[in-house]
Amino acid sequence: MKILVPIKQILDPSGLTFRRDKERMFVNREDYILDPGSKAALEAALRLQDAGHVETLIAISLGPARADDALREALALGCDQAFLLCDPAFEAADSSVAACILAAAIQKLEGPDLILTGSRSGDTALGQIGPRLAQALGYGQITDAWTLESDGKALQATCRWGTGFAAVTASPPLVITVSPEAFPLRYAHGARIMNAYREWTVTTWEAADLDLDPAALAPKLVLRSEGFPAPFERGEVFRGDPQDIGRDVVVALRQQKLIP
Amino acid sequence: MDFSFPKEYELFRRMVRDFCQNEVKPLARAIDREHRVPHETIHKAAKLGLMGVPFPQKYGGMGGGEIGYCILMEELGRVCTSTTTVIGAHTGIGAMAIYLDGTEEQKQKFLVPLAQGSAIGAFGLTEAQAGSDAAAIKTNAVRDGDHFVLNGAKVFITNGDIADIITVMAVTDPALGAYGGITAFIVETDSPGFSIGSLENKMGIRGSSTAECVFQDVRVPKDNVLGQFGAGFLTFMRTLDIGRASLGAGCLGGARAALEASIEWAAAREQFGAPIATKQSVHFMIADMAVEIEALHSLVYRTAWMIDNRMPHTLEAAACKLMGSEVAHRCIDKALQIHGALGYSRDHWLELGWRDQRIAEIYEGTNEIQRIVIAANLFRPYGLRVSS
Repeated sequence: MKILVPIKQILDPSGLTFRRDKERMFVNREDYILDPGSKAALEAALRLQDAGHVETLIAISLGPARADDALREALALGCDQAFLLCDPAFEAADSSVAACILAAAIQKLEGPDLILTGSRSGDTALGQIGPRLAQALGYGQITDAWTLESDGKALQATCRWGTGFAAVTASPPLVITVSPEAFPLRYAHGARIMNAYREWTVTTWEAADLDLDPAALAPKLVLRSEGFPAPFERGEVFRGDPQDIGRDVVVALRQQKLIP
Repeated sequence: MDFSFPKEYELFRRMVRDFCQNEVKPLARAIDREHRVPHETIHKAAKLGLMGVPFPQKYGGMGGGEIGYCILMEELGRVCTSTTTVIGAHTGIGAMAIYLDGTEEQKQKFLVPLAQGSAIGAFGLTEAQAGSDAAAIKTNAVRDGDHFVLNGAKVFITNGDIADIITVMAVTDPALGAYGGITAFIVETDSPGFSIGSLENKMGIRGSSTAECVFQDVRVPKDNVLGQFGAGFLTFMRTLDIGRASLGAGCLGGARAALEASIEWAAAREQFGAPIATKQSVHFMIADMAVEIEALHSLVYRTAWMIDNRMPHTLEAAACKLMGSEVAHRCIDKALQIHGALGYSRDHWLELGWRDQRIAEIYEGTNEIQRIVIAANLFRPYGLRVSS
């Protein structure tokens, strides 16, 4: 199986503070990390590789030059090849444009059997890339997988379905998005970390390297305004002896129509 | 001049920090209490190449050089001095001696399993009557055909009882003294006649084992002579030179952890109606800690860079060990003062940190010996010999 993992680099949220009173986000420390969804997708791919189902594992990222670090990390973790899609023309890409660019690069890579990506990223959390890629490439899709196995031909996944889970089996070619929480990423081997920078290469493709329709590069998403979501309402505290509290809680939940 | 770390080292530090937080730190208190070596951690570290960080990949190592190794020691030192000691004795002195002076065959046979972590290493120098005065050793080796027969006992050997391979210094010609009369040997601990005497019941680093190693007619093949015959003292001194830089790195980690904990606690702890972080007495302690840590950081990584670039580094490495252990002492002591009675409690990690860091001023050459090494290097151009 040839697996391709689109990965993303995001601003490390531990370096950010949010001030509701000033309606602003402050960047205290500008560090970039692998997105949690990308980490989960890499781990899911590496588990299939451990099980012997993978001939080639490719990481790909659409982003600025610094995304090279995310791809080197993917190489250190066990990917065989890494591609960076970097061009000034890509800078304004929204998720529909990003999916178009990625799809063009994937076609140039001659059809992987499986595309694994995070079901949502740690920054925008839009969850668009997986489904849009499936549509652009004409692949089947499984979204928000919590487990993933293969028998060498078909893939078996457990994925979120309403308030529960569904067991799904499907055959490649497929796009599978995985839950960021479900696949905790392993540590990279130290020697692979050294080699990722000293020995191995990340191939960079610009717009001219891909078969792209210039019209497809125009973003469809228009940002009208940005703001903080409304604050959560404070909870209600019940006091008294346990029996009274129990009764009061049930009454309050009924009034809110949260229990029958 | 460029003081930034190459990117592979930044990624390596992130990996090691995650590993230390998730795998090493949770065990630190338990292995101290239970007085046991964290074999499970060693096993996990080996799978990530962390038992052979400084050595080239062709010998099973990680290819990280001394800079990579100092990063590992610093990050380990932040969370657990016992684990730092176990991996440090294995890599930084045990396996290092073979890397420095071993033949190609010896490296393939002994360094590869050590670097991969499938074998554990130790460094056998100290004896009951030969601590700081390392040349006064009594363990002797006598030639018998294709073998040498070793007799004697080594004490305070870190990893002694868990090691598969020990590099041992023994007298081969009492008449020639330190330079010419002492030879280094690679001893496999499954050799008949090798046994473990007593285990030390220590004040700190209780998650590392410190053993007496007894040699009774241990036959060592002549192919296991490490370095030139009669030049063992030099092999061991050169090994210790390198070990001292990484020891300073471990201390740097301990000092940094103390600083970070102090800042966090001072911001949270309120007395007289305000956080103690608003008090100048606390500012001064924290500022002093930060300055010493910055200076130590520069010294450690510059020395590591000198080692990787094959520059003379005896003075600088001794300075790393000397300054590192004393900075760690002062920082952990100040952190304890800032934490007050809380830090004195057995339930707080600072109590463990305080007991653990004290050994750094003693092992791998006491700080008094480091001062002699430094002075000897400074007076040598004037033709003056500094004696112990």
